[in-house]
Amino acid sequence: VQVGLKIWRYNSRSGDRELAEYEIDAPEEATLLDCLDIVKDKHDGTLAYRKSCRMMICGSCGMRMDGAAVLACQTRMYDSAQAGHVPVISAMGNLPIVKDLVVDMGPFWEKFNSVKPYLQPGYDEPPDGKEYLIPQERMNAIHKEALCINCGCCVSECNAMESDPLFTGPQALAKAMRFVGDPRDGRKVERLDDLNGEHGIWECTRCYFCNERCPKGVDPRDAIAKLGAESMNEGIDRDMGAKHAKWFVTSAKTTGWLRETELVPKTQGVVSAIKQTRFALDLAVKGKVPPPVPPHVAKDVREARRLWELVRDQGRHGFAGIVQGERALARLAHGHSGEETLEEIYERPDAFHRPYIAGEEPAATPPHTYSEEQAGEGDPGE
Amino acid sequence: MTASAVTAKRVAYYKGCLASLSAKELDFATQALAPKVGLELVELESVTCCGAGDIHEAEPDYYLHLNARILAYAAAEGVDTLLTVCNVCTLNLRQANYMLVGDSDLRARVNENLVAVGVPAYERDVDVRHLLWEIADGDGYERLKTAAHRGLKGLKIAPFYGCQILRPSKLHGFEDPDRPWSLERIIEACGGEAIDYPAKIKCCGFPIIQAREETALGELIQPIEQAVEAGADAMVTPCPLCHLSLDAWQSKLKKATGRDFALPILHLSQLVGVAAGIAESELKFKRHVVSVKPVLDKIQV
Repeated sequence: VQVGLKIWRYNSRSGDRELAEYEIDAPEEATLLDCLDIVKDKHDGTLAYRKSCRMMICGSCGMRMDGAAVLACQTRMYDSAQAGHVPVISAMGNLPIVKDLVVDMGPFWEKFNSVKPYLQPGYDEPPDGKEYLIPQERMNAIHKEALCINCGCCVSECNAMESDPLFTGPQALAKAMRFVGDPRDGRKVERLDDLNGEHGIWECTRCYFCNERCPKGVDPRDAIAKLGAESMNEGIDRDMGAKHAKWFVTSAKTTGWLRETELVPKTQGVVSAIKQTRFALDLAVKGKVPPPVPPHVAKDVREARRLWELVRDQGRHGFAGIVQGERALARLAHGHSGEETLEEIYERPDAFHRPYIAGEEPAATPPHTYSEEQAGEGDPGE
Repeated sequence: MTASAVTAKRVAYYKGCLASLSAKELDFATQALAPKVGLELVELESVTCCGAGDIHEAEPDYYLHLNARILAYAAAEGVDTLLTVCNVCTLNLRQANYMLVGDSDLRARVNENLVAVGVPAYERDVDVRHLLWEIADGDGYERLKTAAHRGLKGLKIAPFYGCQILRPSKLHGFEDPDRPWSLERIIEACGGEAIDYPAKIKCCGFPIIQAREETALGELIQPIEQAVEAGADAMVTPCPLCHLSLDAWQSKLKKATGRDFALPILHLSQLVGVAAGIAESELKFKRHVVSVKPVLDKIQV
């Protein structure tokens, strides 16, 4: 298949920048990384990019295609090439470019290291003297975070980091959650305390670009929410972001609706709020500062109050309250509702090949094979 | 009730906190617009805040229960759709809905708690849909094309989506989060010209505008600056939180940069409302911080 690529070339020494266009012949199954290899081998040996494993586990080949961070080795080119689309390939965002598609990962690793990404055991030796056994459910809480391959696709798109480069960022925070949630770690509270700093969890702007881009399903934004929940569960609530979040809980259980006008003093403190008086008056003129008295109370709000009392006593506080929903959301990510069995999923017409399971007779013909007819319909199959 | 209400789609209407309070103009405009686009709004009374992502972060189990309660009261109205007018409500409710619908054990536990406090159990599934999706496609879009007869007369409108109606796309699934089309389609159906600019899918900074104002303003300036430079007469957004930062915090951008962008920001319901000839008194432009008058003058409402 003919694949066209526009690649942003960049030389950091000379500062030269150029959008170079390439037209190559690639196999139908080619990924973006395969295409870059062809460019480098046959067209232009000076093109610079990173790669290693070619199978979505080393995290080296993060880059942008049409402005969105992807792993080059994960991105098949057949469909867009068939549609005549010529994608623009560029280096990841939020990191300095060294050359072409290669970024300086230094700031990334600095933040990664800042969260102490290693186990700090809370014991000298395992209780039984041999090994430390952890129930599966305790590890489920950090399963997603443990999938991170440090590729930087989330960091590339982080809107808060664009505005403040010092923000710890989605990758380092997801990594932090991987250890905060590890039952073997003995420094949870100290870790959370560190993560509640100026450039920590409360600087996340909830743009959800990290969840959208992560090629491994880590969902860094959800990890940050878990850190927030666990911080407050441990009584670490000094940050304005934590106070802001707590006010919503207070509002819900007292009036049902957000007590909007009191939110500013409850978040920033009375002194800061007074400094905002001029701004607040301008808004008040427009009816944007609803008077807190009489409060806007939801009908049957006592139900919301009693629900609060119930869940308070049921113990799913901190990150456990978020983890409990992950099973259902993971099903959604994999495109099924939970109604189907695994066998039924593998028998779907568009299913991947069923993997060989030891001791099982292999099927005579795989349920879904690539054929010429499908090629004619523009479907690359799997 | 107009004649069109006879065949209107009956939906449960969840207006959320802002449209109940500081962004009342959004509620007025939506109520005025609904019959024109074939929606019969059943207002939910016994509902609370969705938590806005904050309760999800502070007390996630309580977040799930509050949202289950909203879903349960919507289902109790016998409707299939819970209509939202806010990105943040949309994401919070859809996320809770998927958690419950995709996990029968979790749903059973939450339902037990709901019933214990006198709320009907959430049994029959409802779908949470933003007004944007209702009028950008299908029957709603057909009605919109007819209703928006007053037209925006070529006015240049910058679509601003905001984050939580696009991402995470696995929870929304309505349109490509990198190449959305719904606002553009609506702007064009209303006779306006949709302008394109890179920050239309990015963050307005609102969630951290109180806790990290500088970082938030660094985000906020991008869509406003780009839209103004692309020649926008106004900006439209489907989210009242985006609206609040884009509209009310423009004065802080002026203070920080010395530039007075004076870009009027319209709620989605107001934009369509203007095009559909709904009176200014119902759309409540006087509640905006940045004056909408230049826009109205141009199309002589």
